Amino acid sequence: MDVFPFVVLIPLAGILAAVYLVVVLLRRRP
Amino acid sequence: MDAEVLVHDYLGRLDAAAGSLPPSRRAELTGEVRQHIEMALAEAGGRDEVTVRNVLDRLGPPDEIVEAELGADGPAPGWAAAQPRAPAVHSGWGGTEIAAILLLTLGAVFLPIIGPLLGLIFVWASNQWTSREKLIGTAIVVVLAILPIILLLGVQAGGTVTSGQL
Repeated sequence: MDVFPFVVLIPLAGILAAVYLVVVLLRRRP
Repeated sequence: MDAEVLVHDYLGRLDAAAGSLPPSRRAELTGEVRQHIEMALAEAGGRDEVTVRNVLDRLGPPDEIVEAELGADGPAPGWAAAQPRAPAVHSGWGGTEIAAILLLTLGAVFLPIIGPLLGLIFVWASNQWTSREKLIGTAIVVVLAILPIILLLGVQAGGTVTSGQL
């Protein structure tokens, strides 16, 4: 049960950061 | 070096390179490029040295802008003729960006902690994102990764207090 937040939140953190960075790059394209 | 100094230096070099243009057109070109730089900086959301250098790199060397201006026949359509080339030089996915995104997504699932950390290293190594964007990306990872640690500590501290009270 203690491991649950790590298992969920660390991948979620990476995915959210990746989504943000991809959106930034795509919006900059002409 | 100060960001304003970089912009001033760039515009100075542009002005010098545009010596062969009529004075009115030269002033107009410098004004247009200055406006473009201001817009790009506002869009990037920062005026730090790295952001300014990225914006100026995207514009290309002043000589090229003047060459494009000279290459336009008849009434000058504006340096806009040179503009489409700028994103072509800068945009696009390189190996660094793909590695960063893969490590932040798949890496976070299959290599917890190490994956996102390596992803952030690639993000900071890339020149496609501004410092502000890199900071926001890093903050998302750090805040969400630290959150469970705080939660666990909070639960443990709460448990200690409760057992102490009993």
